[in-house]
Amino acid sequence: MRFERSKKDKVLFIIGLLLAVGLIGAGCVGIKSTPEGGSGVAVAGGTLYVAPVLRTAGGGLGCEPQPSVGKLISMDTSGAQQWEVSLEPSARAGGGFGCAPASVPVAIYGTPAVNGGLVYVGGYNGIVYALNSNSGALRWVYPRQGSLQPIIGGLVVAGDKVFFGNSDGKVYALDAETGDKKWEFATEDKLWSTPFVDGDTLYIGSFDKRLYALNTADGSEKWVFEAEGAITSTPIIYNDALYFGSFDRHLYAVRVEDGSLKWKFMGGNWFWASPAASGNNIYAGCLDGKVYVVDAESGSEVAEINLERPISSSPAVVGGSVIVATEAGKVYAIENNQRRELRTLEAKVLAPLYTSNGVVYVHAENDKLYALNVQSGAELWALSLSGK
Amino acid sequence: MWWDIIAVKPMINSLIALSSFLSGNLGLSIILLTIIINFALLPLVLKQIRASKAMQELQPKIAELQKKYSKDRQKLAQEQMKLYRESGMSPAGCAVPMLIQMPVWIALFQSIMRLVAIIPENFLSLSQYLYSWPVVYTALPLQNNFLWVNLAGGDIFLAILVGGTMWVQQKMVTPVTTDPQQEAQNRMMLWMMPLMFGFLTLTFPGGLSIYWITSNIFRIIVQYFISGWGTLFPKTVTKKATKEKKPKKLMAPAEQTSVEQTPVEKEAVTEVVAVSSAEGEKVTSEGTGDKRPYRGGYPAHLRDVRRHPRRGKGRHPKRG
Repeated sequence: MRFERSKKDKVLFIIGLLLAVGLIGAGCVGIKSTPEGGSGVAVAGGTLYVAPVLRTAGGGLGCEPQPSVGKLISMDTSGAQQWEVSLEPSARAGGGFGCAPASVPVAIYGTPAVNGGLVYVGGYNGIVYALNSNSGALRWVYPRQGSLQPIIGGLVVAGDKVFFGNSDGKVYALDAETGDKKWEFATEDKLWSTPFVDGDTLYIGSFDKRLYALNTADGSEKWVFEAEGAITSTPIIYNDALYFGSFDRHLYAVRVEDGSLKWKFMGGNWFWASPAASGNNIYAGCLDGKVYVVDAESGSEVAEINLERPISSSPAVVGGSVIVATEAGKVYAIENNQRRELRTLEAKVLAPLYTSNGVVYVHAENDKLYALNVQSGAELWALSLSGK
Repeated sequence: MWWDIIAVKPMINSLIALSSFLSGNLGLSIILLTIIINFALLPLVLKQIRASKAMQELQPKIAELQKKYSKDRQKLAQEQMKLYRESGMSPAGCAVPMLIQMPVWIALFQSIMRLVAIIPENFLSLSQYLYSWPVVYTALPLQNNFLWVNLAGGDIFLAILVGGTMWVQQKMVTPVTTDPQQEAQNRMMLWMMPLMFGFLTLTFPGGLSIYWITSNIFRIIVQYFISGWGTLFPKTVTKKATKEKKPKKLMAPAEQTSVEQTPVEKEAVTEVVAVSSAEGEKVTSEGTGDKRPYRGGYPAHLRDVRRHPRRGKGRHPKRG
């Protein structure tokens, strides 16, 4: 009796152990348990600003301790580092179990914004940091105490204000000099997209499936456009229309003056990245692995370029070329509706691309920043942002 | 990947589709999906409950074997295995439904972590798991909150609920025993699993905890309809059963056996009579592998209990 009972207990114990290991394994492998971030590149006055990916070296297996201190790095256009600052995390209320870290990591997803001697970044820990763009010295943080919900999108500076959307569903406008809050506007769901400011109007898409046009002076609503899916892509303006993608698989064109629908075009999956405009065409990278080239006026399809892997990185336009990177790490130049492979990187690319002076800057998930020649795709330099 | 195709994708798309009929409420869709999954696994669950019940009914015979071969563990093991074989059951059979549910848990965990828009990388990867159903694209994103629960995070109240419901369900199937050592082992098992799952609940998303709670409640209900409260309320059951069914034919042999049995054995026999009567089930010899139909009088397993001491110990003269 004792023998069999103990055998049964052993069986149950092994099952329990397998269960725990299986679930923890499933939890920590394949699924990210903590945010890692990794921003796009901002260039101002010959200086690059970028926030690296938070990742333990060589890892990912099991519940390895995840770094939580964020970084912002400044370098010149040759890749020589100027300064690096650490951004401290805020404490997580009641956290620390299992794979969850005890503090909210300062993972930075949004591209930094630079203006008037300050560089602004928003972290997943819900804090906006304003730093001196020359030295990296901290000027102010918002909020002064505590933190907001995670900030996923980038910040935009226009006039004397800095704007951003937050996961709490609110658009915030802060005084660019002091960090004091000027106004806030509440939407009905998360805001992960970077706002776009044109003149006195701010445009931002929300998870509540709406695109909002707000007055930058006081945050009052000008108009609202309702899509059928959530919106994370930043809208662009081209020929008096706004272009943006949605999770409902549509690329939308909306009139700037009143927010009425101009046309909509259906792709094969989500439009996560922002589109680009060139030569009266809209280039929209889709998570179905295709770039749709659509006539900006009529919304009719001009071309469909299959890049084979999802495109979540926003493209960049240089002259007549549209530079696109896929999640597989391949960088293409699209010219005359034909793709030309520029480079295959060693890691996937999620962050938006940036071009300046014939160079395209690509921040890949291996935490390397690549500077590629726009014409040839030649690697001008590659810098490991984690310093390894 | 095959795992994504057969497990994660169907789970994700089912949850989204169900949510679209439930105002985008992921919590409600998890509950509904859990009920559907549990109905699908019902044959296995019933098998497990019956196996547990059969195990309970074998306790007197096992106690006899244990006493008989207390100094020969190898022989004891052989006899026990023989007994299980003759009864047509396996001790590990009780754990099979749990094993089968493990892939469901893992798939659900992965689905929830992708569905809740918490970490951009996870949510971004969700796009690669979607079927081309229009409803799937318009229903997203789903609500991350259900009642007070953040479906993506751990919660202490959920941990208590998971542990509590699991304890109740475990308690209902814990076999009655008179062996102190076995009792201690049962007690350890009764607390170990609820505590372990309670701790896991703190670590894993609230959506998975809702699955566990719903599953536990479902199984408590099924268990109740099949075998009552079991050992959760043993005294109530025994008294009621004794009052309702006390046939003379059943009791008379028991009185006879009391002469032949030790007090411990007698107690075990009385308990089994009470439990069997409470369940109101048709007493047959099915559980022991004996195919003879029940013709009234002493239940088959108790007849066996009575016979074993004679053969084993030889303290009593053989009849006829």
